[in-house]
Amino acid sequence: MNEIVFAGFGGQGVLTSGLIISSIAVSKGLNATWIPSYGSAMRGGTANCTVKFGKEMIYNPAQEEPNLLLAMNTPSFNKFIDIIAPGGTVVINTDMVSTEANTRDDITIVEVPCNSIANEMNHPKGANIVMSGVIIKLLNEFTEEEAIDGMNEMFNKKGKGKFQEMNTKAMKIGFDFVK
Amino acid sequence: MAEMIKGNHAISEAAIRYGARLYAGYPITPSTEIMEYLSWRMPEVGGTFVQAESELAGINMVIGGAACGVRSFTASSGPGISLKQEGITQLYDEELAAVIINVVRYGNGIGTLYTAQCDYLRETRGGGNGDYRAIVLCPESIQEAVELVGLAFDLADKYRTVAVLMTEGALGQMMEPCTLPDFIETKRAPWGFDGKYSYKKVGIFDRDSMKEAVLMNEKHNAIKANEQRWEDENLEDADYVFVAFGLPGRSTKGAVKKLQEEGNKVGFIRPITAWPFPEEAFKKINPNVKGLITVEANATGQLVEDVALTVKKVLRADIPVYSLPYVYGIPAMKTIKADYKKIVDGEIKEVF
Repeated sequence: MNEIVFAGFGGQGVLTSGLIISSIAVSKGLNATWIPSYGSAMRGGTANCTVKFGKEMIYNPAQEEPNLLLAMNTPSFNKFIDIIAPGGTVVINTDMVSTEANTRDDITIVEVPCNSIANEMNHPKGANIVMSGVIIKLLNEFTEEEAIDGMNEMFNKKGKGKFQEMNTKAMKIGFDFVK
Repeated sequence: MAEMIKGNHAISEAAIRYGARLYAGYPITPSTEIMEYLSWRMPEVGGTFVQAESELAGINMVIGGAACGVRSFTASSGPGISLKQEGITQLYDEELAAVIINVVRYGNGIGTLYTAQCDYLRETRGGGNGDYRAIVLCPESIQEAVELVGLAFDLADKYRTVAVLMTEGALGQMMEPCTLPDFIETKRAPWGFDGKYSYKKVGIFDRDSMKEAVLMNEKHNAIKANEQRWEDENLEDADYVFVAFGLPGRSTKGAVKKLQEEGNKVGFIRPITAWPFPEEAFKKINPNVKGLITVEANATGQLVEDVALTVKKVLRADIPVYSLPYVYGIPAMKTIKADYKKIVDGEIKEVF
């Protein structure tokens, strides 16, 4: 069972990133849940969702002990760093995240300048897709092809298929970023 | 293949497919996506969608739709459902079939937006005046919510009563894979208005309340006898039996599995019908059980009252009944496990 928290400012695409990965899991026949923080969120405030997926039944869809955190901004890093499972992984957006407050030495931090990468490829809104590629490679559960197909299928169903070429490229760059 | 879908959207689409053709309501978080979805979806199937000027207007439009024999429903949360109570007791009184969806949020008064189960007593007792009861169904997953929407309309029609889908904020907002049902053929109930004044008018002064009371008890007894639904596991062998519904019920199932793996003799009952309460399940419980434990998302413990009453009625023994009310949210499996240990060690006292 994987438990992943995707967190950042509203507008950074963290809910979509979570949906991409849960959709890929479902397209492979796995169980998956996606649960957002909702309600009194405001523009510029923090947003997050928790995704769980695996072969086994998912009893509790809510946060328990994530093995992976995507932190797109510093408040998200500080908010969730203490609940990451020992041995877990934190993927940070180094363009925006300061890890100054970190006291954990039992986790792996993966540094990705995703805004810079997305700007360089002229797809500034694709920073979350780059991160999705990074996370999928780190999870080692899906092939690059499964990930790209799953993502494109998800966007097509939402009627957002026109960005397919750029999204595919962003996903590949994220995938290749992890050595 | 099942696809990821948001709970509120799945509920809405299920209602359309199970033949609902009138929706009237007023938006409120965390139920609003139901209205939003139906605002475009209902016209597609030739049904009627109304964003009413208030909850009160909305429920009265549902009375109108139901009186015409059309599958009619509304959805809201906490305070919005409070405003609809006059209409709900009226629906029951006129023996009109209708479905009410409560996407429960936490709190008294205007409350909060947190996911919770704090409306248990209100829904299971009937929140309006009189001594009516509505059928109350509580899903643990989006797939089950979809199935229970169909059951709610079927039971409302069968008993000519109100059926409530008591879901939770988190279940409305979350996504998981779900297979939607096929479309049923829509038809109007034969007892609906036919435009010809075929039915006898009954005014407030010429009712036979003694006779109506007998019929009301007969209806309630038939529902209790035929419609109890639940899921259970390992009741015959359990030292402790958990009782929980909805998303906390689902988390409790996970906690029970882990406790069993660690050698604890525990089982669970997950009510699917909150009313009628699944008393039948309690007949399977080990007569030497040491205690029953409710897991609830409210502040004071509500489900625990029905569990205690049922222990008295079915088990006829002075068995301790404990409650773990986690206020709001979905309790973590590790939290439930830790509190179970406190109960076994005597650190948490029984409620009854």
